[in-house]
Amino acid sequence: MAASSEPILEVSGLVKHYPLTRGVVFRKRIGAVRAVDGVDFTLGRGETLGIVGESGCGKSTVAKLLCNLERPTAGSIRFKGEDITRLSGRALKAVRRNIQMVFQDPYTSLNPRMTVGDIVGEPYEIHPEAAPKGDRRRRVRELLDVVGLDPEYVNRYPHQFSGGQRQRIGIARGLALRPEIIVADEPVSALDVSVQAQVINLLDRLQAEFDLSYVFIAHDLSIVRHISDRIGVMYLGRIVETGREEEIYEHPTHPYTQALLSAVPVPDPEAREHRERILLSGDVPSPTAIPSGCRFRTRCWKARERCAVEVPALAVPAVFRRGPAAHDSACHFAEERRVVPPEGPGAPEATGADGNGPG
Amino acid sequence: MLLDVRDLRVEFRTRDGISRAVNGVSCTVDAGETLAVLGESGSGKSVTAQAVMGILDMPPGRITGGEILFRGRDLLRMKEEERRRLRGAGMAMIFQDALSALNPVLSVGDQLGELFVVHRGMSRKAARAKAVDLMERVRIPGAAQRVRDYPHQFSGGMRQRIMIAMALALEPALVIADEPTTALDVTVQAQVMDLLAELRREYRMGLVLITHDLGVVADVADRIAVMYAGRIVESAPVRDIYKAPAHPYTRGLLDSIPRLDLKGRELYAIKGLPPNLSRIPPGCSFHPRCPMARDVCRTDVPPLYEVSGDRGSACHFWRECLDGGEQ
Repeated sequence: MAASSEPILEVSGLVKHYPLTRGVVFRKRIGAVRAVDGVDFTLGRGETLGIVGESGCGKSTVAKLLCNLERPTAGSIRFKGEDITRLSGRALKAVRRNIQMVFQDPYTSLNPRMTVGDIVGEPYEIHPEAAPKGDRRRRVRELLDVVGLDPEYVNRYPHQFSGGQRQRIGIARGLALRPEIIVADEPVSALDVSVQAQVINLLDRLQAEFDLSYVFIAHDLSIVRHISDRIGVMYLGRIVETGREEEIYEHPTHPYTQALLSAVPVPDPEAREHRERILLSGDVPSPTAIPSGCRFRTRCWKARERCAVEVPALAVPAVFRRGPAAHDSACHFAEERRVVPPEGPGAPEATGADGNGPG
Repeated sequence: MLLDVRDLRVEFRTRDGISRAVNGVSCTVDAGETLAVLGESGSGKSVTAQAVMGILDMPPGRITGGEILFRGRDLLRMKEEERRRLRGAGMAMIFQDALSALNPVLSVGDQLGELFVVHRGMSRKAARAKAVDLMERVRIPGAAQRVRDYPHQFSGGMRQRIMIAMALALEPALVIADEPTTALDVTVQAQVMDLLAELRREYRMGLVLITHDLGVVADVADRIAVMYAGRIVESAPVRDIYKAPAHPYTRGLLDSIPRLDLKGRELYAIKGLPPNLSRIPPGCSFHPRCPMARDVCRTDVPPLYEVSGDRGSACHFWRECLDGGEQ
């Protein structure tokens, strides 16, 4: 779990815009979907970075960019110091081996006409140097064993497996090339509650066994907290707050993070009277028309004039010099506000329009 | 007693044989009460709801036994015409996916107004005014203009509000909400759940909330019924169950939630998978996955034992489970 200081992945200024066009013969650009709009983060070796956010915040686009499934509009992704967004041909292929993806939906991410053995072994067809031909069958059986499936299942088809088992197959495929980084995009959200824990435990065990670094993308905040060392909260294409797991959950300073955390239903009926709920008004704006200045201002209860004109930088707010609140937060009026009740009844102050003071 | 379901049984004919989706479910809902029905996919929670609403596809479905008493009258003995009049006015349902539950070629105003035209015999104009009224009640901004819009022009959260407005239009005594917020983002989910709870209090409706989310249950329910393989395995006031579950399945579900004090350690995971409903294990259907299973569990189906006045557990060893839960 513990992260070393040397980053394996450095992302800076990452941007992905999808053009919106009108007309067939004379295509005219009329705007852009700004799916990812300036994202920076680093990932340490053996570390898990959790990325949370609501649908449409750009977290899945980030995953695709990291795996080179999409080319960024701007920015760089450095893998061990080398910018992989500029690579092509053989060099790109070599890098791709090291960054593999696990997808959300185990029902559509496996080819129904291929056997499990062929699915898990397919990466070797593309990267034949990873395993000599005669050895592949054995490797596939080994991989199935590693993810907790019976190696005798190699000749079965995906429809013969449950959702949880299919996700294990997807994970085995992701591991086939012995990658150093795994990007998991909502790997458990399609699974039943009782099966989610099994898959999370598997991912945890594999990380220790193969010294993997994870980028774990999800919307379930309690699962992200369990598995992550550091967390980035995304809103409309940008990371608005990032820090170590306990900094984000216990000492959030960005109003969006606070609202997000307070909205999560807590499985404790005793807590329901003591909880402070920040209800945001309205929906997330469209990524084709991102508000000026701070992109959260249209739903923020603290928004003032400054927020409409000046984009807040993702940095440690000047008011926090040290302590757990001193982590990157893109808000002009950042203040600490504890929204997750510690243990049992008590603490959080119920405030209306103007939350203030550390809890 | 608003709703009293007694020993309900539902089967489906499939290529795999007979799939027993609901195997003797009994539960009650009072006016003004919120009952949460918790279960994983295939536990029979949605089929139970559909049977109560009378919208089960038959065939392939078949109700093979039991009674569904609504205000003392058995729905299963009613004529279809009578049940149709009851739907909407007496009981209503909120579905998970508002986009596919709403008619895409009718404006939301027409769909909301239709209820008043059909059930209350109102004129189109009066019905339209009622529709605007309802949209304001569920806090859709600019209701008077948006009443002409079509479902696809609304966001997910707004569509779910329209579904709620439609369910509440005729002020039914009972509302069944089947995973009403599962498709929504957390911040929108909180808005919708709050609205639903507020309207429920205002109208004093009985609410049946079908969900798989233990967090949502803890937030809004008064009582909870946990379903597994077509049966209610535990039923209790919500506080009791979270404090000390009396069934190992409930306990497993609660234990598998990531908790702060257990970070960095392995999560508790219920082993195995939920059973195939055409091959439900003999005895207690949970025994192949249960850490407490003994010989008797493999042969004898546990009845719903009375744990206390308002609690029941379908586990032969509920006492042991209850003790273990208090550690």
